Amino acid sequence: MVLLFNIIFQVTDAISFLLLSAIGLAVIFGMMKIINLAHGEFITVGAYGTVVTAKMGLPLPIAMACGVLVTVIFGFILERLIIRYIYGRPLDSVVATWGISLIVSQAFLIIFGPSTEGLKSPLGSFQVGDYSFSEYRILLIFVSFLILVLLYLLFMKSSFGTLARATIEKPVTSSALGVDVQKVYTITFCIGAGLAGLTGALYIPTMTAVPSLGQAFIVSAFVSVVTAGASPFVGLVPAAAFLGSFQTGITFFYHATIGLIGLLFAVIMIIRFLPSGFSGLIKRGR
Amino acid sequence: MKNLYFLKNKLQTTTFIILAMIPVFVDSYYVNNISFFMLWTFIALSLSLIWGKGGILSFGQAAFFGLAGYSFGIIGINFADVFGVGVWSVILALIITGIFGLIVGYFLFYGGIYDVFVGIVTLSITLVFETFMSQTAGPEWTVGIARLNGFNGMQGMPSIGINLFGHNFEALDNKGYYVILALAVLAIYLLDKLANSKFGLVLSASKEDRLRVQSLGYNVKKVHMLTFAISSVLAGMSGILYTNWGGFITPESMGLVSAALPVVYCAASGKNNFFAVFLGTILLVWISQELAINGRQFALIFMGLLLVIATRYFPDGMFLFFIDLLKKITQKVIGN
Repeated sequence: MVLLFNIIFQVTDAISFLLLSAIGLAVIFGMMKIINLAHGEFITVGAYGTVVTAKMGLPLPIAMACGVLVTVIFGFILERLIIRYIYGRPLDSVVATWGISLIVSQAFLIIFGPSTEGLKSPLGSFQVGDYSFSEYRILLIFVSFLILVLLYLLFMKSSFGTLARATIEKPVTSSALGVDVQKVYTITFCIGAGLAGLTGALYIPTMTAVPSLGQAFIVSAFVSVVTAGASPFVGLVPAAAFLGSFQTGITFFYHATIGLIGLLFAVIMIIRFLPSGFSGLIKRGR
Repeated sequence: MKNLYFLKNKLQTTTFIILAMIPVFVDSYYVNNISFFMLWTFIALSLSLIWGKGGILSFGQAAFFGLAGYSFGIIGINFADVFGVGVWSVILALIITGIFGLIVGYFLFYGGIYDVFVGIVTLSITLVFETFMSQTAGPEWTVGIARLNGFNGMQGMPSIGINLFGHNFEALDNKGYYVILALAVLAIYLLDKLANSKFGLVLSASKEDRLRVQSLGYNVKKVHMLTFAISSVLAGMSGILYTNWGGFITPESMGLVSAALPVVYCAASGKNNFFAVFLGTILLVWISQELAINGRQFALIFMGLLLVIATRYFPDGMFLFFIDLLKKITQKVIGN
C-alpha cells in the first residue's frame, strides 16, 4: 500500500513535471508552428523574476505572479523585435530562438553570477509509512492539470480561442474577415511565454536558482511536445503520461542518467514509428 | 552569379596562397592558433553541405564530432605500438563515424522524418552521447586499455603522424598546420565538385520541392542518406583534428553549446557557399577566442547575437553579404 502510494506519487510527479515544462512550448509550437529553443530561458526568466521579487519582501504567490508578468513582457518584446519576422520559416525560427537562448542564458550568468540564494520550499511535508512527501509537489500536480483545463477552455470555448484557431488555420482568410492577425500572433506568443514563466515560478521554490535552470526543463519539454504530435492539446496528456511512467520506471531500476538516455531514445523511436505522435494515434482511433 | 564566380576563383586562390605562406613569416604560437581555427571549418562545412545545399538542419554534427574524436582516441591508445597507428586510426575513426552517419541517415530519411523533426532527433542523439559519456567516470568504463574518464575527458592518445625509416613525420609540427590546410583545400574542392554534380543538383532541387524531384524519378531518400553520411564524415574530421590538436576530448564537445556553434558559423557566413563558410568559421573562432579572454559568456553572447541578426537581416549569410558589398564598391571605384 505504502509502496503503491509511493509509485503513484513518483509517476504523477514526473507527469506533472513534463506537462508543466511542455505547456508553454506546446502553445507556441501547436498554434504557431514555431520551435522555440529559448523556451528554457523563458522558464529561467520566470524563476528569477519570482526570486528577485520574493527577496524584496513580497509574499510568494504575488512574487510568482510578478515572475509570470516579467516573462510575458519579455516574450512581448522578443515577439515585436525578432519573432514576428520569422513566422512561416520553421528552420530559421529554430536558429533565431537558439541565438536568443544563448544570449539570455549567458546574460543571466553575467548579471546574477553562477548561483543565487534560492527560496524555501513552501508548505510542509507529510509521512506515509517510511516515506516523506512534500505537500508542495502534490499541489503542483493539481495545478498542472488545472492549467491544462483552463487552457482547453481558453482555446476551445472562448471567442479569442476561436479567432486564434482560425488565424492559425487560414491567416489570409481570417485577415480578410477583419481579424488582426498580427495581434493574435502576439497574444498567443505572450500566452506561451507567460506559461513558461509560470513553470519557472512554480518550480523555483523546489530547486536552486542557477542561470542554467531552464535547461533542466528543455529536454523534457521538447520530448513531450514532439511525442504529443501535430495537435499538442490532444496529445500532451497521453504523451506526458507515457514518458513520465517510462522515465520513472527506468530511473527506478537503474539511475537518473540512464532514465534520461532512455527518454531520449524513446522519443527517437516514437518520431520514427509514430510520426504524428500521440495526437495522431488518438485521431486514427476515432 | 558573377559575384560568386569572383569569390570562387581569385579570392579563393589568393586566400589559400596567403594561408600557405603564413608559417614562413609568423611566429609558431600564432600558427598553432590558426591551426585551431582551421580545424573547426570541417564541421561547419559538413553542416553547410546538409543544411545549405540540402535544406536539412541537423544538430547531430556535434555527435559525429565526438564519436570520431573518441574513436580516434580509443583506437590510438589501444594500438599505440602498432606501426602507422597515427594514420590508420584516423581512417578507421572516419569509417566508424561514416557508418554511424549512414545508419542514422537511413533511420531518418527512409523513416520519412523531415523538417524540424530531423533537428529534434539529431539533437536528441547528440544529448544521448553527451549524457552517456559524462557518466563514464568510473574505472569500469574502459574500452581495451583506454579509460573514458567521464566528464574530465579522455587523454593520452598518440597524435596523427607516421614513423618512416627512423624519421618521425608527426602532424604535430605547428599542430598539423599544413595537414589541416591541405585537407581543407581538398574538402572545399570536393564539396564544390559534389554540389555541381548530378547528385548535388538533385540535392539542391529536393530542397525546393521534395515531392516533385521524387516524381521525376530520383531517389531523394538515398541522396539525403548519402549526403548525411558524407557530412558525418566531415564533422568527424573536425573531431579527430580537435582531439589531435589538444591531446584530449571531453563530453562537453557534444553538449548543447557545441551543437549550436556550427550552426552559428554557417548561418553567419553564408551557408550556401563553402568557401565563405571556410573563411567565416576561421574568423568567428578567432573572434570568439579573443572575446573569451574576459570570460566565455561574452563570446557566447556574441555568437547568439550573430545568429539572431543573421536570420533576421541576412538570410543568405552576413559574411557573403559583406564580400559582395566590397566587390561592388571596388567595381565602382575602379570602374569595372
